[in-house]
Amino acid sequence: MAASRAHALTFKIIAECKTTKARVGKINLPHYHVDTPVFMPVGTQGTLKGLAPEQLVELDCKIMLGNTYHLGHRPGPELLEKAGGLHKFMNWDRCLLTDSGGFQMVSLLKLAEIKEEGVKFQSPHDGSEMMLTPEKSIEIQNSIGADIMMQLDDVVHSSTTGTRVEEAMHRTIRWIDRCLAANKHPEKQCLFPIVQGGLDPDLRKRCAEELIKRDVDGYAIGGLSGGEEKSHFWRMVTLSTDILPKDKPRYLMGVGFALDLVVCVALGCDMFDCVFPTRTARFGTALIPGGQINLKNKMFAQDFRPIDENCNCSTCKDYTRAYLHTIVTIEPVASSLVTVHNVAYQLNLMTSIQKSIVDNRFPEFIQNFFEEMYPDGDFPQWAVEALKSVNVRLSE
Amino acid sequence: MKFSVLCVRGHGARLGQLSSIGHQGCKILDTPMCMLYTRGGSAPYLGLDMLQRMENIPPVAHITLSHLSDHYEAVQAFKEGVAKFTALKDHLVFISLHDPAVEVYSGFNEKSGIAIWGKGGKTKIDVDLFMKIQEALLPDWYQALSDGDTSKDTSKKRAGKSVQRTLTFLDQIIERHSQSERLKNSALFGVIEGGYSEKDREHSAKETSARPVSGFIIEGFHNMGPKSEQFCISDVSGVIQKTLDYLPEDKPRLMHGVWPPDQVLEAVELGIDIFDSSYPCSDLCMYFDDLAPISPHCTCYTCHKKFTRAYINHLLNTSEILAGVLLMIHNFHHYFQFFRSIHSALEENKLEELKRVIQQQKSSAISKDALLS
Ligand SMILES: [Zn+2]
Ligand SMILES: [Zn+2]
Repeated sequence: MAASRAHALTFKIIAECKTTKARVGKINLPHYHVDTPVFMPVGTQGTLKGLAPEQLVELDCKIMLGNTYHLGHRPGPELLEKAGGLHKFMNWDRCLLTDSGGFQMVSLLKLAEIKEEGVKFQSPHDGSEMMLTPEKSIEIQNSIGADIMMQLDDVVHSSTTGTRVEEAMHRTIRWIDRCLAANKHPEKQCLFPIVQGGLDPDLRKRCAEELIKRDVDGYAIGGLSGGEEKSHFWRMVTLSTDILPKDKPRYLMGVGFALDLVVCVALGCDMFDCVFPTRTARFGTALIPGGQINLKNKMFAQDFRPIDENCNCSTCKDYTRAYLHTIVTIEPVASSLVTVHNVAYQLNLMTSIQKSIVDNRFPEFIQNFFEEMYPDGDFPQWAVEALKSVNVRLSE
Repeated sequence: MKFSVLCVRGHGARLGQLSSIGHQGCKILDTPMCMLYTRGGSAPYLGLDMLQRMENIPPVAHITLSHLSDHYEAVQAFKEGVAKFTALKDHLVFISLHDPAVEVYSGFNEKSGIAIWGKGGKTKIDVDLFMKIQEALLPDWYQALSDGDTSKDTSKKRAGKSVQRTLTFLDQIIERHSQSERLKNSALFGVIEGGYSEKDREHSAKETSARPVSGFIIEGFHNMGPKSEQFCISDVSGVIQKTLDYLPEDKPRLMHGVWPPDQVLEAVELGIDIFDSSYPCSDLCMYFDDLAPISPHCTCYTCHKKFTRAYINHLLNTSEILAGVLLMIHNFHHYFQFFRSIHSALEENKLEELKRVIQQQKSSAISKDALLS
């Protein structure tokens, strides 16, 4: 079966960094193609914070996320199927990726309980007992119709230690097989397993080694965006990418701050997502090279520059910080305007990373990035160490 | 600003043209017209990028002092006026005192100035501050400071006082305006007050039209806000008629409020030329009740791009901003189209027919529940 299987995803490496583990690739998917390393904005409810899909196309966004937990609840799989999937429902003809719903369930619902069969939870509507099994997660994700789906995994908080982590790791491996068997549309929806194992190098290694035996098109690295210590974080990432096959994309789940993106690309990750850039826009926080600014701050009341002079987004073209200062957190339109910019910032960052890798100057890019982000040379120790592990020595 | 009446239909409906307006002298505007309603200097939910995807946007942006008075110092430092400050530089800007969609609290105006309600609470505006703000904002035309805190229940004494105060403000403003280099291209509209008292209205109209103003704003029938949607122009058509009798033909007349289509038509028939467009934003769902629902025949961006009712319904259920964006575009589109049909109806002398269509739409309107099911 493996040999004749139709592939929803093909991955081609375009360029590799000669110093680090970074690479530039192209993912071909049923709806569109994606250039990696890629940042995927999160459109939880089938919409991205006030942006029309056309605006995302103009920003050259090629893939975005939807959340299975939310979409399964509203509008629900029946309506989505009737609409012909989420792509049609929301008017987005490029790529979509959905998570399994498990993470949200465990983090949003206090009463969720994980059993071998699945995640048991109380319906937030009528209080009745329900079960999200690997099969059910894939069934909903099949109705949503995203190009890339995630397996249901046994999520443990990254601070958990001991046998529970090991149990979760083994269960995650058992669940990938149930998920793969349940996928009704392998030819148009691919499924990524998720490397778990908490912060235990041995467990992560065993998990990754087991998962790469499966016939899948790409891999996710999970359980590493929960506020764990960064020195552990990067070691788990690099350990995972060392084991995962080179010829398949690697998706580092829930990671998307600029600093983390630059470091983790160097460690060999290809895909990223994070709610922060879009969620924070509502509060007036705009991302700029070197950090972020809160437009609500009085210091911008008479600042007649755009958010970022070098940004080519429609917000920076038309609006000043001073005007945005008068409407952020007050008018809903401000939320859309800042979101446009923040998405542009994230996508531009990834495009610059890609270019620098292709031009074989990624190490210089990293050096410049750090100098701009930390002008006083006070680089975070974990990042210095992580980069040293891939032969980049930052000079302060 | 120049205004000419091209023809009068029925009792007083006017087909007119505004020209030589403010800082963009070459623009010609057809009346009856509505202005582009804004909040904080932006069309609700619509950044310039999205706004530009719409057709037939009114060339006049209606910006209110209540939204921007807190920030006038920034616009002052910016130097180039509020149109450019709010990224609406291709629009003409009209500055009114209050947001027609927000109720103005009663009982806070004084002889020395009036109360404006912004996000930061109450600001008292006297003539001095008022002129300072106008010089900073650099509008193409603006409403004079006025005491419009009158309604049906206002005493005759209070109505008379509002006329007097408003005339006193106007004289001071005219004096300041004539000496202002920055406002030399800005047109000033006088404000007719007098509540429901015909005598006071007459006095206000006569006195205001004797002064050098470019047009008139008729207010003081209600305190704006959602409740003004219930305001029935036919209840005061007598008073308005009397007022208009004392105003010169060749100057435009503007009335603020949340205007449902049938009320717009009645006002047009009386001889009102310029309106707000806050109605399509007043209740995004309810609007479906009386104009065409999102339909396959609609040519607006939302319908043209085939966003479905089911999707918009989902966005409403999940309180997503895109619901506001898509509905605002559709609702604005219909409202702007409606003003175009008023125009052609007047040209072709078919106002009665248009009135019938609007009445029919109103009575056959689908309910909000029907849309959402
Ligand atoms: Zn920008
Ligand atoms: Zn439409």
